[in-house]
Amino acid sequence: MSRNSEPSIPAISALRASIDRSRKKGHHGFAMAAARVVIVKAGNLWTSTGAVDPAVITKMFARGFALLTGEKDEPRAVSSLFRPDDRVGIKVNTIGGKALSTGPDVALPLASWLSRNGLQGKNLFIWDRTTRELRDAGYGTSAERSGIKVFGTDADGVGYETGLVSHLGVGSLFSKIQTEFATASVSLAILKDHGLAGVTAGMKNYFGAIHNPNKYHDFHCNPFVAEVFDTPPVKGKHKVSIIDALVVQYHKGPSYHARWAANYGRLIFSLDPVAADSVGWSIIERLRADGGLPTLKEEGREPAYLATAEKMGLGRAGLGSIETVEETVL
Amino acid sequence: MKRRSFIRGAAGAGLVIGTGLPSVCPGLAAVGAKPNLSRVEARYYDKLPDREVECRLCPRLCRLGDKERGYCGVRENIGGTYYTLVYGKACSLNVDPIEKKPFFHVLPGTSALSMAAAGCNVNCKFCQNWEISQVRPEQIDHFDLPPEKAAAQAIETGCPTIAYTYTEPTVFFEYMYDTAVRARRRGVKSVVVTGGHINPEPLADLLAVVDAVKVDLKGFTQEFYTEYVRGELKPVLETIRAVAKSKAWLEIVYLVIPTLNDRMGLIREMAKWVRNEVGDQVPVHFSRFQPMYLVKNLPPTPVSTLEAARETALEEGLRFVYMGNVPGHEGENTFCPGCGKVAVQRVGYRIEAIRLKAGRCDTCGTPIPGVWT
Repeated sequence: MSRNSEPSIPAISALRASIDRSRKKGHHGFAMAAARVVIVKAGNLWTSTGAVDPAVITKMFARGFALLTGEKDEPRAVSSLFRPDDRVGIKVNTIGGKALSTGPDVALPLASWLSRNGLQGKNLFIWDRTTRELRDAGYGTSAERSGIKVFGTDADGVGYETGLVSHLGVGSLFSKIQTEFATASVSLAILKDHGLAGVTAGMKNYFGAIHNPNKYHDFHCNPFVAEVFDTPPVKGKHKVSIIDALVVQYHKGPSYHARWAANYGRLIFSLDPVAADSVGWSIIERLRADGGLPTLKEEGREPAYLATAEKMGLGRAGLGSIETVEETVL
Repeated sequence: MKRRSFIRGAAGAGLVIGTGLPSVCPGLAAVGAKPNLSRVEARYYDKLPDREVECRLCPRLCRLGDKERGYCGVRENIGGTYYTLVYGKACSLNVDPIEKKPFFHVLPGTSALSMAAAGCNVNCKFCQNWEISQVRPEQIDHFDLPPEKAAAQAIETGCPTIAYTYTEPTVFFEYMYDTAVRARRRGVKSVVVTGGHINPEPLADLLAVVDAVKVDLKGFTQEFYTEYVRGELKPVLETIRAVAKSKAWLEIVYLVIPTLNDRMGLIREMAKWVRNEVGDQVPVHFSRFQPMYLVKNLPPTPVSTLEAARETALEEGLRFVYMGNVPGHEGENTFCPGCGKVAVQRVGYRIEAIRLKAGRCDTCGTPIPGVWT
């Protein structure tokens, strides 16, 4: 289901009531809104210089959280997902360099907005595998000015755990950022076509939390994306998927190719990590169709890990079971 | 072992190891990432359109976009050019008895300068060295040891051989190859300890510059390779054939893992294959498994299983069949196929006696194949 008009306050109230009913039934917050995916776009997102307008993207985050949680009050929206003393790790994906990463123009406004709405700034950090990749993606001076900590697992004093997490088909060392530093985790991933996985988005973003992601690209990353997500360090801390679909690489990813990169200008929010990525996949397919490209299935690389994830109970993969709410921020 | 090895090597290279954990995470300006990786163009790859590359080093044939690394984690496409990140970057360096590799028919009683760089192109669930093989190079400490220096260190430490071992040397091919070339010029031999996942072209080039290859034949079914190795059996068998046809000496190790690859019918099949395809003179070692890495739910291999495996291979006509990781067992010794006397007596990695003269049994004169001088 798709709705393009801005939901009225009563609509949010209805959602709130639905959430409350679910909670009364004993469901965890994740479960009650599990199949809801919120897509927020903004017509005036980019400034005349081509930069993302921080005020506009902040509005997009605020709206996304409101629609996701049913809380129009921003601090309440935040507190419905996080404890005030949570140390929140915002896992970005910066392997694609400046042109195709979750950049500081997206991640820093999110961190700032969270810190203004109930979380402590000192407890917020943006992270990825390596500081070099973060730097290459543009996290530098602006990150330092913001006061938000930004660092890679390779930073001094961080590193990987020495104990293996052996779970299903996965055997990995986890970044201490995920295991020790963070008590709650946000996957703030970029939406990309992926030559092996088909699609890389919120779930596969956690490949950056393990020391050996290169070992899990066989068989189109299936079942490994689902299995890494299912590990206790990830599943136990993941709170929300936010997919940066401002620029979407819909072909020849995960590397940047301007020819197949679309200015899509949207953020995707969901408490259901599988649903978020499934909607991301549908967007990639739409852009591919617009570009006259075959579907991922026709290319033999559809993201089968999503169906696996659904079978594992991690969320919903079928678009028919996902409620999509789309809204434009003015 | 690995950490000790590293520390020894690192200390030799003048490195300072160990940092304390900071109480807070500093900002970007203060963090000290020190990847110190090489950027030497890789061999055996094709450039493709759109800055993609296809690696031809191993059977995986990784096809990679810009900024992506192969399955091995140590070769990266940077802007459409493929680079090895571990050239001259040793993560482990040690002086080992050559019996530890194990090579039993190569200069027994000598030491091998044993070196490794990070990475591997399979992911064995029972890997003994996963802390250096199943990581990216920037995740572990390493130090600069260029090929020329490695060759010089072999001489300085009295090692007649350099062993490329611990991890999978295929993935640091360029480093290994160049070291072997320089070592040979200085009269130092090179021996390779490999899982055998390498394509024919680079293998042929490698075999021209090394003296011996030990192939870990990790099982004898594709199912085992799929489930426990994450690789393919067929290319490994092709590698064994190619080494046997070359001038390089070949030995084979089969790690016997309880319930997973220890069926005697399978071992008999493997022994027949060795006899028929590469000959009865090729030494085969049946090594004892110890619970490790992701296979910790199985006990060490019973000695009786190794004995049965050895007996089975001998029944199939293999002449030199050994047991590994069972110190003091007679299965460690080399028996002359002519007179049955012990030609090389071993206890663990220690040589007790060598009864060979110019590669022949001291007792009856039967030739014992190998690299003896």
